[in-house]
Amino acid sequence: MRGRLLRLSVLAWLLLGLTLLFFPYFSTWPGFAWFLDHLAETTGISLTPFQLTTFAVWLVILTGLNLLTGYSGQISLGHGALVAAGAYIVAILLDRTGTPVAVAILVGGLGAGAIGFAIGVPALRLTGPYLAIATLALIVSMPQILKMDAVNDWTGGASGIDLPLARAPGVIDGLVDDRQWLYYSVMLPAIIMTVLARNLTRSRIGRAFIALRDSEIGAQQMGVNIALYKTLAFGLSALYAGVGGGLFVYSQDFASPESFSVFQSITLLVVLVIGGLASILGAILAAVFFTFQTGVISRLGEVLPAVDRLRWAIYGGLLILIMIALPSGAAGLVQRLSLLRPAKTLAEWRGGGLRAPLASLRAHPAVERLLGVPRERIYDRDLPPEEGGGRPKR
Amino acid sequence: MEEFAQQVVTGVSIGSIYAIVALAIVLIYRSTGIVNFAQGEIAMFTTFVSWTFLLRMDFWPALLLTTLVAFFIGGMLEVVIMRPVERAPPLNAVVITLGLLAIFNSLALWRYGSLPKPFPKPEIFAGAPLEVGTVTISRLNVGILAMAFLIMVVLFLLFNYTKLGLAMRATAQNPTASRLVGINVSRMLALGWALSAAVGAVAGMLTAASLTLSVDMMFAILLFAFAGAVVGGLDSPGGAILGGVVVGILQALAGNYISSQVDITAAFAIIVGVLLIRPTGLFGRRMVRRV
Repeated sequence: MRGRLLRLSVLAWLLLGLTLLFFPYFSTWPGFAWFLDHLAETTGISLTPFQLTTFAVWLVILTGLNLLTGYSGQISLGHGALVAAGAYIVAILLDRTGTPVAVAILVGGLGAGAIGFAIGVPALRLTGPYLAIATLALIVSMPQILKMDAVNDWTGGASGIDLPLARAPGVIDGLVDDRQWLYYSVMLPAIIMTVLARNLTRSRIGRAFIALRDSEIGAQQMGVNIALYKTLAFGLSALYAGVGGGLFVYSQDFASPESFSVFQSITLLVVLVIGGLASILGAILAAVFFTFQTGVISRLGEVLPAVDRLRWAIYGGLLILIMIALPSGAAGLVQRLSLLRPAKTLAEWRGGGLRAPLASLRAHPAVERLLGVPRERIYDRDLPPEEGGGRPKR
Repeated sequence: MEEFAQQVVTGVSIGSIYAIVALAIVLIYRSTGIVNFAQGEIAMFTTFVSWTFLLRMDFWPALLLTTLVAFFIGGMLEVVIMRPVERAPPLNAVVITLGLLAIFNSLALWRYGSLPKPFPKPEIFAGAPLEVGTVTISRLNVGILAMAFLIMVVLFLLFNYTKLGLAMRATAQNPTASRLVGINVSRMLALGWALSAAVGAVAGMLTAASLTLSVDMMFAILLFAFAGAVVGGLDSPGGAILGGVVVGILQALAGNYISSQVDITAAFAIIVGVLLIRPTGLFGRRMVRRV
């Protein structure tokens, strides 16, 4: 029983992979194209190959941030600075030298990874809020550094670097057009890097990350080399950020200091939480959300004008609600709904779904004050917090 | 030398705003262990509230009324939004305050619009700038410094010479033991947030009086205030004031002597440098954890 359902989930992933593989061809089929147009018109989700390319770029970046913040538990509010580092390395290589794109992006990834590793060493001494603020400092200073006179010649200062449009190489000219080429050359690395990240989190390294997130002292007792794995998490996540940044300039043909703002850096962390920390599916959902939210919100704004103007209030409210009711994010909800992880028994299936989030909302002090404390919770003062105890009921 | 003195004075006057906001950040961190990223936006929002009061009354009564409103908002935020994550990992709390940041920013933009608004100065702070030797300083900046000092003295008296302050300090240090000796811990935490929002409101009104009132006025200030709080140590109120002023001076000096292009970078580089030598700031205490 379990085996068959597991195979079902493998099948679902395969289907998704195949859809992504052939999407640029599907999207021009008359019936499918009509469906996509209709979807864009009614929901604001415009599923074009280019939008999916953008999705792939953010998927790489968010997967990297997930390795750092989700798995190894180190908060970074300045991840955009590492993305910018990779993006500028690639842009300069493509602009100044005849480096092939693949090599340039690899160099960008390794360069950003080295920078991340270097940042990781001093970050070892910082924890929690101090680390958050130090990384914030990094992204705040980034535009000023890029515009400094000393590097102006290389970075193009405030006006940034313009690159020629990405073109398909001559050899396969008839096979794919430029748009399709761009799609594949971004989507393939993104999928490969996501699969690699998935495997990494299930390896010795991934387990070490999780152990040091959950208890640094405990991990040390178990023989995990804290310094090594913390800097490794920084380096790996920066490598992803660098490759993501490289793919970003390659697909957008453009890099400027304004492409990487403080605001965007913070938004990365926010969407990752909404998608689900410490989950590969979470990073995928976060990238979906990050790519398509603008379209959906503007579409909603056409129907309800207040939505567009209160966009950030809605995000903020959503974020707080998720943190209180559903700390594992949208990915956690999907798993609770038993789409990917089949329930073993009927009782488990019933216990899944929306019951747990609703219960934690019900347990919110303000709700309890309104509705009264449920009888069974009056006595659970001595239970550990995760079982609903710990907080005095009066 | 004269130029240097003038730059230091300019730095001190920018820094005194940072100092007040840093103090507000420290107030929350000390009592709850949370860094409140929404501090600046809450201050900005309450300043807009004060702007509506100012249409009907003078500066000082409006300041008093605004502090009360902010006190109430801060307390409510703790009770309704922060309490469920009291025991959650710090990342959750950080993310929730980022959510609050977005909400207050968006609400202010929706309610009051994006155009900067003129904000009246109190009368005693207007008038010709003071001259001390060759250095000039505006009356408003002297006033801001005086307010920062006043707030610090009041908080010092509250924390060190009243029973309530003792209870708040005890809560911050050991919630379980405080609860056992009969302190209402939840109320103390709410009080911490309320006080912090009130201090932030004062900072917001003084900022608006020296610049203009706009939705994004507090964002940059918040960053520098963070830097100040971190330099001083997140759990030290005196350190926060000093740290805020130091950051202000550094920013002014770096802007003048290195290049105005890199003032932010230079200020932050020094902060990261301080953190590398003392990871909990100049006056912060290192927490020793038992397992």
